[in-house]
Amino acid sequence: MSPVVRLLAHRLGMSLIVLVGVSMLIFAIARIIPGDPARIALGPNATAEQVENLRQALHLDQSIVVQYGHFVADLLRGDLGVSLYTNRPVIVDIAQFLPATLELVLAAGIMMIGIGLPLGIISARYRGRWPDNLVRLVSLLGVSAPSFVWAVILMLLFAFFLPIFPIAGRISDIYSIEAVTGFLLIDTLIAGNVAAFSDAAWHIVLPAFALAVSGIGQAARLTRANMVETYDKPYIEMARSYGFPDRRIANRFAFRPSLIPALTIIGLDFAAMLGNAFLVEAVFAWPGLSRYGVAVILRKDLNAIVGTVLIISATFLIMNIIVDLLIAFINPRIRHSQRPA
Amino acid sequence: MRSIFTTVAAAALSATALSAVLPSDALAGGVLRLDEVAVGELDPGKASDYADSILMFNVYDTLVLPKQGGPGHVPHLAESWESDGNSYTFTLRTDVKFQSGNTMTADDVVFSFDRMKTLGQGLSYLFGIVESAEAVDANIVRFNLSQPSAAFVASLVRLPIVDKATVMANLGDGEGDMKDWGQAYLSANGAGTGAYKVTSHNPQEETVMEKNADYFLGVADAAPDTVRLRYGLEAATVRTLIAQGEHDISSQWLPPEVIKALAADGAQLLSESGTGAFYVKMNTTKPPMDDVNCRLALSKAFDYEAAIKMIAITDEISQGSPSTGGIPVGMFGANPADAILTRDMDAAKTHLAECQHSPDDFTLELSWIAEVPLEERFALLMQANFAELGIKSEIKKLPWALFSEQVSKPENTPHISQLFVTAVTGDPDTLLYGQYHSTAAGTWQSPEYLNDAEVDKHLDAGKTATDDAGREAAYAALNARLMEIAPSIYGYDRNSVFAASNRVRVPALSDPEKAFGLDGMGFSFRLMEMTE
Repeated sequence: MSPVVRLLAHRLGMSLIVLVGVSMLIFAIARIIPGDPARIALGPNATAEQVENLRQALHLDQSIVVQYGHFVADLLRGDLGVSLYTNRPVIVDIAQFLPATLELVLAAGIMMIGIGLPLGIISARYRGRWPDNLVRLVSLLGVSAPSFVWAVILMLLFAFFLPIFPIAGRISDIYSIEAVTGFLLIDTLIAGNVAAFSDAAWHIVLPAFALAVSGIGQAARLTRANMVETYDKPYIEMARSYGFPDRRIANRFAFRPSLIPALTIIGLDFAAMLGNAFLVEAVFAWPGLSRYGVAVILRKDLNAIVGTVLIISATFLIMNIIVDLLIAFINPRIRHSQRPA
Repeated sequence: MRSIFTTVAAAALSATALSAVLPSDALAGGVLRLDEVAVGELDPGKASDYADSILMFNVYDTLVLPKQGGPGHVPHLAESWESDGNSYTFTLRTDVKFQSGNTMTADDVVFSFDRMKTLGQGLSYLFGIVESAEAVDANIVRFNLSQPSAAFVASLVRLPIVDKATVMANLGDGEGDMKDWGQAYLSANGAGTGAYKVTSHNPQEETVMEKNADYFLGVADAAPDTVRLRYGLEAATVRTLIAQGEHDISSQWLPPEVIKALAADGAQLLSESGTGAFYVKMNTTKPPMDDVNCRLALSKAFDYEAAIKMIAITDEISQGSPSTGGIPVGMFGANPADAILTRDMDAAKTHLAECQHSPDDFTLELSWIAEVPLEERFALLMQANFAELGIKSEIKKLPWALFSEQVSKPENTPHISQLFVTAVTGDPDTLLYGQYHSTAAGTWQSPEYLNDAEVDKHLDAGKTATDDAGREAAYAALNARLMEIAPSIYGYDRNSVFAASNRVRVPALSDPEKAFGLDGMGFSFRLMEMTE
């Protein structure tokens, strides 16, 4: 078995165990949150009899172990139950809302890498000079304010005072695009509607940037710190003495080793954005899973809470595996450490 | 390679930049855009909150409608009705078609009633006294009640009529002949006679509706062609959207300062009143609230004028009007509008002196619902007001979920709870019975745990009186009794305020003569006019 396959199998096995643990934990925690889910779902005007009937239908009158048994049995049939928030199967909600969040997070991730890493490289390369100081100041600003603050600031600046970008939503009302993948940028292309694609792309810029600002700052700071450390290594000195151009030293010899810790953090940030996007989604009226997750927690919608957390956890684990594989690809020492003794 | 990448990037940028100059509301003429905080429940058998009501009143119709500009009801899907006390017989119109093209008959009415009772959700409890509904013939339907109820006709505004044939053709998984009673289908599709058809429904984003050209009453050309009811927009987003001309009517839940800012920018303010009030509820089982004099002392010490100032939006419009008693102005039994409650510290001190509990012996628990930040301001106001009487208090923030659980036991219920209560049918019975009847104690709306035989007597009389005069007398006596024993402080009569752009006219929310006196019915889109 090749080292990479061994690494993958190991990580998948561990992920499965983690997912089972998460499901048990969230199942228990969701039931500890104060409040009766049946009462919340039926609204303040429901009678005691109505509430009791719903409690029985949800098995809430049984022990938590029996409830978990019902949950696992349903899960094995691919049924996550019905959401009390939307009155639809949780799996339908997730299928509808997850692509919107994934699309947003992917766009934010691309911005994080596409802007953060180059900023870090520039900062390290011009260490101590004005480009470095400027990047460090901007990075500090980025990491020191939460994404929802950026969301409001960006909306005010670029949608209200300077109406360049749209204020809310994924696409303008004038377009009606059939959902094939749920990813609007892809669905508009499938529909062959370039104007709708442009419109959807324009809509995603502000929310994705608001979500990415903190990650961009973090990526730039990490890349800079690691590269600065690498610049002090003897092999960089040797490259300089051989007369390699600064740009080549930065991009080829200093950047690659510095990428590993940055990549780990970026991978985790990327996955964390799935759960943290709710305020950005709320500000930009982005109908995503993150916003759905918060709404169902506030309404103590047990099935939807468990379903959403499981999906976000699974995405987190998948991102971890991808990052591990990428690092193994970049760093041969890690790849070869997977060989059997 | 690099040149290809550059070309593609430039093309993409140009395309996106081009889209930026396209007006996003290029087709906004005839499109009405509004928002609500909660997810809209499309299934009319489960509808209960404001967003649900807006959907229900537009996609479905009911046998009767509240009379505009005053109390009472008028026929709608029904042509007429008669009652012999325990039964009500309705003659239906014969010219009504569902959006599917099916003709509405008495069978559909019976089916809608049976479905609502069987599901047991939403506002189905309103029909607890109805034993059965039967189709006498194709156009006559009879409801058999277990006891006479003056509130029954009013409750019919919450019985939307569903297309039986469409539902039966779309039954989902479930047990028995009726399977899921069409719940899965009706949670995503409309099956009514209403003036608007559902064209798409995303519970977290928006419901899109379009005008039903075959509506039995017709729909004016000026009414919106398309309606987009958006869900869960943030206050900052709504503020920006309306200011940029990309939104038409806000929800009532915007903070007063945002509504005020929008009004200053030229937005019109719409309002809906007469169906509910803000109540400060006192747990009558817990010392010192078990002593009527202590309760009266607190109600006299409450600064009603300051409370009104706290919710004022402009000099003319406020989110509430001064309270005159336990029943909002406009309902049976209400005191005259000019008989407003005022603060009276001398009377408060007199009552406190007669109370068997000394202020030194207790600390009041002033709770507020975490999801309603305005209530924290009222808690602080009360703390200051009561401190002038020498009464100590501590403020306690309670999430709704925890509050509704705590009030199920009197010993866990705080001394003071703050609640907005609304009559779901516009009838005082649905506002007051659940709050003050002894058999209804211990729910979210009755944390007073009131047990007063005289109050029960008046409530029962109001429910069963057969004429308006009898109901007026019963509720007036109830109001007097509620003032006498003060289970609550009657903070103010609620007035829901909506900020709106000037491209829409909404007579039902701006002209008292056109108002319905029922939450959400002012949003009947067929009665609105788009001015652009």
